[in-house]
Amino acid sequence: MAINYSAIQNVLQEFVTSVGNIQGASIMSPDGLALASSLPPGMEEDRVAAMSAAMLALGERIGRELSRGNIERILIEGDKGFAMVSGCTDDAVLIVLTDDKGKLGVLNLEVKQLIARLRPMLTFSKSQVA
Amino acid sequence: MERTSPKQVMRIVATGPVGAGKTTLIKTISEIDVVETDRAATDDSVLLKPNTTVAMDFGRITFGPNMAVHIYGTPGQERFSFMWDILVHRAHALMLLVPLHRPSDFFMASKMLRYLQFHASDVPLVVVGTHRDLPDAWPAEEVLPALGIEPDAGIPIFSVNATQTHEAVQVLIALIEQYQRLTQSHAKAG
Repeated sequence: MAINYSAIQNVLQEFVTSVGNIQGASIMSPDGLALASSLPPGMEEDRVAAMSAAMLALGERIGRELSRGNIERILIEGDKGFAMVSGCTDDAVLIVLTDDKGKLGVLNLEVKQLIARLRPMLTFSKSQVA
Repeated sequence: MERTSPKQVMRIVATGPVGAGKTTLIKTISEIDVVETDRAATDDSVLLKPNTTVAMDFGRITFGPNMAVHIYGTPGQERFSFMWDILVHRAHALMLLVPLHRPSDFFMASKMLRYLQFHASDVPLVVVGTHRDLPDAWPAEEVLPALGIEPDAGIPIFSVNATQTHEAVQVLIALIEQYQRLTQSHAKAG
């Protein structure tokens, strides 16, 4: 079966609306193409996708250079909230945005659960690719 | 010029369409292990190559005791234009790589040239035709009109095989000379 992007889209939308202080979530390919998103108005999906992929790739490269092992996530902490980028599967990267009331502990936990939910939806056997 | 530091550092940015050979050129001339950020391509670029740069490449080459060139490569796809902003902003000199064997990319190259001329008009620039060794490669000077460059614009053009060190270094030397002429004339004017 092919990947059901509208189902993924629904999961992201539900995540953004049901979890407190979350402003947006988006997944993209590791080379920066948007797959599915629920983003605040005015935020351009394609740009977010390219930036998230670039950030994770550069973070992973820096992590390797500085011997930090496997990179779990890249965190941007601003006075208006967090942006957290995590590898979701080998073929997908996740970014989650919070507002300034977001708590890092909650974000960590929620992102972990979101990834666990998305992972099976993003996995497909190569033989099924047309 | 950074007079206080013992070493002069010059930052060169290599840009150009996907598959022009930016990463290859940097790997050819860098003395250090190139910092690469390539990922499996899932867009059209997969037709040209399996991996694509998503953030930047970084390499270094030293000329004598007093000069180090830091060379940065941008991603080629337009969706990464924010990386062009970041890298071009601090560049001392620019290289626009154009794949001579893919006329379909000349338009994208001309768009990038427009971008560079707008955002870094006072920075030395060379056009580097790549894939010179391929049978269907255009002669470099015939590419200039396709890029919208007037013959008297004074933009040097090279044609190289980016895997050949001496060809890549030639471009680098020309760019360094151009940059030094510029800083010297600025010093005189100032």
